[in-house]
Amino acid sequence: MKFNDQVRFVRQNMKKNKTRLFMTVLATAMGCAFLIVLASVGFGLQKSIVDKVVGDRLVTAIDVYGIASEDGVDRQIDEKGIAYLRSVDRVKAVTYRNNVRQTIRSTVDGAAVMPGKVINVDFEAETAAGFGLSAGRLPQADDEVVIGYYSRIPAEGFKPGDEPPSAGEWLGKTMSMEASQFETDGTERKKSFSVKIVGIAAKPSREWQIDNSVYIGNAAMGNIESFTGTQWGEQRIAPDKENPEGYEPPGLQDPRQYSEIQVIADGARHVKAIAEQIREQGYFVHSVADELDQINLVFLIMKIGLVFVGTIAVLIASIGIYNTMTMAVTERAQDIGIMKAIGAHPSAIRRIFLLESALIGLLGAIIGTAVAYVVSMAVNAGLPLIIEGFMDEKVPQDFRFSFIPGYLAALSSLISLAVALLSGSRPARRATRIDVLRALRRDL
Amino acid sequence: MIEMIQVSHRFVIGKKGRERVVPVLHDIDLHVEKGEIVAIVGRSGSGKSTLLNLMSGYIHPTSGTIRVAGQAVTGLSEGDWADFRLAHLGFMFQSFQLIPSMTAFENAELPLVLKGIDVAERKKRVMALLHQVGVAEYAGHYPGELSGGQQQRVSVARALMLNPPIVLADEPTGSLDSDNERQLLALIRELNRELGITFVLITHDEQVAATAHRTIALKDGYLLNAPRKGEAHSYEIQ
Repeated sequence: MKFNDQVRFVRQNMKKNKTRLFMTVLATAMGCAFLIVLASVGFGLQKSIVDKVVGDRLVTAIDVYGIASEDGVDRQIDEKGIAYLRSVDRVKAVTYRNNVRQTIRSTVDGAAVMPGKVINVDFEAETAAGFGLSAGRLPQADDEVVIGYYSRIPAEGFKPGDEPPSAGEWLGKTMSMEASQFETDGTERKKSFSVKIVGIAAKPSREWQIDNSVYIGNAAMGNIESFTGTQWGEQRIAPDKENPEGYEPPGLQDPRQYSEIQVIADGARHVKAIAEQIREQGYFVHSVADELDQINLVFLIMKIGLVFVGTIAVLIASIGIYNTMTMAVTERAQDIGIMKAIGAHPSAIRRIFLLESALIGLLGAIIGTAVAYVVSMAVNAGLPLIIEGFMDEKVPQDFRFSFIPGYLAALSSLISLAVALLSGSRPARRATRIDVLRALRRDL
Repeated sequence: MIEMIQVSHRFVIGKKGRERVVPVLHDIDLHVEKGEIVAIVGRSGSGKSTLLNLMSGYIHPTSGTIRVAGQAVTGLSEGDWADFRLAHLGFMFQSFQLIPSMTAFENAELPLVLKGIDVAERKKRVMALLHQVGVAEYAGHYPGELSGGQQQRVSVARALMLNPPIVLADEPTGSLDSDNERQLLALIRELNRELGITFVLITHDEQVAATAHRTIALKDGYLLNAPRKGEAHSYEIQ
C-alpha cells in the first residue's frame, strides 16, 4: 500500500469526526506550547544572564591583568610578557589596547570631531582575534585607522534614545589628528598627522555605551611617540612654581607596559587549559569561560527540569490522542475487518493508524510551536511593563524572560510527535488484531 | 486448485475454566479442480461456512492440511495470509461487505490500493470492471445509494480486481431478489467460462447449486459426497 493512499485513508477517516479531531489537536497543541513556553523561560534567563556576563567579550578571550613578581609587587605586562603569552600553545592572538595619553584633537573635512580616546591596537593580532566592525575593513597601511561607531556624535551631544548620525559616512575620508607636547621650558609644540578612515567599529551591545574612539596601529602610534619623545605620547609637565619638579613621562627607551591584554584561544575548549598554564606562570587572568561553565551547568539542569515538567503536559495530552485513536479503531472495526478479509496486511493497517496519530501530533506541534512563539513575544513585551507598572522595578535593557531557540522548537515537536506515536501505537496494534469474522458479522 | 486433507476443526466456547469444545468439521478430504464451480451445500450449522473460512484463512484448522493454488497454507502467519489472499483469492459475501464511507469506485479499487498499483492504472482497471459488471454509471455512489444487486456487482468487481484464480463466495445470492440472483449466476458462469476462474460457492439455494459443476454436501461437519468435475450431482439434504 502506497504512502499517498495511506494519507488518503487517514484524511478520509479524520473528516468523519472533525470536532473530536479538533479537540485532540487542540490538547496536543496546548501541551506542546506549554512545554516550549516553560522551557523558553530557562533559555531566556540563561541568554540574558550569559549575555550580561559575556558582554562584548569573546568566550575565547582570557583577560590578563598583570603578573606577580618575586619581590611581591604586582606588575603590568611588558614586551617580554606579551612575547611569552604569544608563545603559549593554542594561543591564536594576543591583543592589547593602550590609550594615547593625551587628548588628540581631530578634524574631518575641517570640522572638529568630538574628542574621544585614541587607542593603540595591534591590528595584526586584532585581525586574528576578530575585531568587530560594523562597516569597512581593518587597516592594512600605516596611515589607516578605525573609528568608533559613535564617532560622529555632534559636539552638543544627542538626546538619550536618539540614534546619532552614522559614522559610516566618514569611511574613506581623511582625518587630521593633532598631537602636542610641552617642552621643559613650558612651550607647547603641535603636530598634525593625516590618517585615512577605513573601518567603523561594531556598535556597542549596550545602549549606554558610547564608542567614539579612534583605533590606531603601531606605525601611527610610533609617529606620535616620535613627536612627543615619550611612551604612548604622554605629555611632559614643565616645572613651575607650584610644581617645581614637573613630570617627565617614561621615554621611548624605558621598558613598556601594556594595558587591556587579552589572550585569544583558538577554540573555546582550549580556554581553560591556556588560562591554567598562564596562571601557573604568575599571571593574573580571568576568563569568561570559567563563569560560563558554571552558569551553563546550572541552566542546563534547570532546562532539563523544565522540559521534563513540560513533557508531562504533553503526556496528559496524549491521553486525548489515545482516546481518539481507540474510538477511531472501534468505529472503523468493520471497515478494518473488510480490508483484512480481502487482503490488507496487518502492517498496512497499523501504519494507517500510526500515521493518523502522528498527523495529530504533527498538527499539534505546529500549532503549539506557533502559539508558543506568540506567547513568548507577548511575555517579553508585556512582562517588563507589568513589572515596571506594579512593582516599580526597572527591567534591565535587552532582558529576555523567554527565548525559544530553533532546537527547542524542534525538540518539543519531536517529543509531541513521539508521544503521539506512542499513544497511537496500542490502538493501532488493536486494529491489526480485529477478528475478520466478527467484523464481517458486524459483531464488534 | 484447492486441496483439503483430513481437515478437522473445532471451536472452543465458554468462559475460561468452563470451556466447551464444539467439533464443527471432521476429517474433510476435498479437492477442487482448476476452473471448477463448486457449490458447498448443507443445512445451517453443517459447517459449510467454516469450510469456506478455512479456505480463506480467516480461521485455522485444528488438524489436517490445506493447499490452495499449489501452496500449503496451513501454518501461514496472518501477514502471509494477507499477501496470499491478495494474490490468489477473491471474495464475495452475502451482505456484500462494502465500506459504507467509500464510493462504489473506491470499494472496487480497494484490492488495487492494497497491492500498491498506480492511480492511473487503478482508474483504468476499476472503470473497466465496473463497466463489465454493469455498474459503471454508479461509480460515484455510496453503497447506501445502491440496490442490493448493484452492491453485489460492485462486490464482484472488487473480488475480480486483481484477476484472482479463485473466488470464494459465501451465500452470494442470499440478499438478492430472483432477478438479481439470476443475473449474478449468469455473470459467475461467464467469468468461469471466459477467464477460467475457480468458484467455490456456499449456498443453500438449489438454483445456485445447479449453476455449479459439482456440489459438495455437508452434514453435521461430515462430507457426504465430493464428486469430481463432470460427475452428476448426487446429494440430498436431509
